[in-house]
Amino acid sequence: MGSSVYIAGAGVISGIGNNVAEHLRAFEQEEAGMDAITMLNTIHKGELPVAEVKLSNEELAVMTGLSPNTSRTALLSLVAAREALDDAAVPNFKTLRTGFVSANTVGGMDKSEDFFVDFLEDNNKGKLRNVFDHECGSKTEIVADKLGISDYMTTISTACSSSANAIFYGARLIKNDLLDVVIAGGTDALTKFTLNGFNTLMILDKQLCKPFDEHREGLNLGEGAGYLVLVSEKVAQTLTKPVYCILSGYNNSNDAYHQTASSPDGTGSYLAMKGALEKSGLKPSDIDYINLHGTGTPNNDSAEGTAVKRLFDPHYPPMSSTKSYTGHTLGASGGIEAVFSVLAIKHGIIYPNLRFETQMSELPFQPETRFLKGQQIDHVMSNSFGFGGNCTSLIFSRA
Amino acid sequence: MLAENHIISSCIIERGTVFKDGSMLFENKEVDLAEFLLSVYQHFQLNYPKFYKMDNLSKLGWLASEVLLKDSFQKDQYQPEVVGLVLANRNSSLDNDFKYFESAKEIASPSLFVYTLPNIVIGEICIRNNFKGEHGFYIQDQFDASFIVGQANYLLDNNILKACICGWVDVLVQDYKATLYLVEKKSTDSSKPFSIKNINSIFETI
Repeated sequence: MGSSVYIAGAGVISGIGNNVAEHLRAFEQEEAGMDAITMLNTIHKGELPVAEVKLSNEELAVMTGLSPNTSRTALLSLVAAREALDDAAVPNFKTLRTGFVSANTVGGMDKSEDFFVDFLEDNNKGKLRNVFDHECGSKTEIVADKLGISDYMTTISTACSSSANAIFYGARLIKNDLLDVVIAGGTDALTKFTLNGFNTLMILDKQLCKPFDEHREGLNLGEGAGYLVLVSEKVAQTLTKPVYCILSGYNNSNDAYHQTASSPDGTGSYLAMKGALEKSGLKPSDIDYINLHGTGTPNNDSAEGTAVKRLFDPHYPPMSSTKSYTGHTLGASGGIEAVFSVLAIKHGIIYPNLRFETQMSELPFQPETRFLKGQQIDHVMSNSFGFGGNCTSLIFSRA
Repeated sequence: MLAENHIISSCIIERGTVFKDGSMLFENKEVDLAEFLLSVYQHFQLNYPKFYKMDNLSKLGWLASEVLLKDSFQKDQYQPEVVGLVLANRNSSLDNDFKYFESAKEIASPSLFVYTLPNIVIGEICIRNNFKGEHGFYIQDQFDASFIVGQANYLLDNNILKACICGWVDVLVQDYKATLYLVEKKSTDSSKPFSIKNINSIFETI
């Protein structure tokens, strides 16, 4: 295995902002992105809060140069991936071996839903262009073309750990000297498909979510995209500005317990966190901040909290769920929260866990509720746990 | 020349009967599918409360795997990562999808929703046995022996798996059929070569 993997750029779009600067402002001002549904055409309007990106498809099309008929999944992806690439400003980018590893779970479902409205009425109707790009990989290709990346591209879809796994995989491509630069992360747009699915599972909170609170009632869905630019040591030396940090540890483990729920003792999450620590050569006490998966469902927070307790007790680092701002952006969440993690190291900040009131009875710790600046943060753990028990932890460390 | 792989055991559940390695072990013809599946569970004295939560596709596949593996497979001899599955069917999870769709007219049922994917049956078998190897579920118009043999041989010949459970598990309302094969790299006294001809002939037993 080769050298370290350096983080050279970051880009993000979510319900709290359309770029990194807007996110930092929203965090400091403690402005959550959840609100009544305005964009998504659903019977749940006014009933379930979601964190929508505050731009229409037409506005996103103007920003990106893509057609307004493009799936919102790809539109969001291009905004964040391009911000990350511009931020990294890798010299001689065109001459390097470059890759785009992008995760998503809904693909072009938003457009397919439009198609079926007409098609179900009359199966001679419905615009076929709306289903042409249904497949998840299609989103990656649309965005890679726009970014000018043709050496390597692939799509990862492992539920809510998708884009953490994309970063993990991108890092391995660099470590094994297959690529020099990888833009890795993920994207997901809100769709009826996901909103109805999570509603069926009865894990949506009708109020704003309260991760890691004793009285949490479920998650709020969000949408967005987040990407990091990963570069090899050789490329890092050519950069004209400092890197954010390195990706020092990563691990994926599986609960093998239930289709959607985590095992009560958080076996998968424990193994993922422990494995990532081992990979990085760090001790639990070295971690300065944990960006929790923290969906706000009774099951996740209890399982994740139990796993954190097992690994970190009795010395708990500050931790919080930024889903209290962005909602749960599903396949994008690992990428978005990886961006928050590298920003925490760069700016010395810890994000508050909004709306936390009551400590969970089974846990001896509580999340950080204040926005903290001027912190010395050298190592950040970011958790992303998905349906099917697919659990991933990433660790970012000061370079 | 690649070494040949071997069918260690087979199990068929179809038309109210359960066959293992060509012999009928159980018959209960005069009942509907749900009752029949429960009677198989009781007959073989299986003790796995999660069975009651499963949809009919998972129950059928899981029961077939229990009968297939019992006395024929020593799972301790393999690491969890080298035992995997390759399954196919015609009707995906449609049987349960219909039930879920009906429930959604009132209150959508979470317990039905989590079975609205065909590969959940693989998950149930893996969770029961702690199998962690590669697995795939394919939707095909009919049983395609050459496809199954090709997929399983690829996994075994490239040392991705040491043991592969493969075959067909299909349910739609009262029509159902499961045929599973346990395939390993080593032969036994009673094993048969893992060939298209042999798996087709087992598939057509009943």
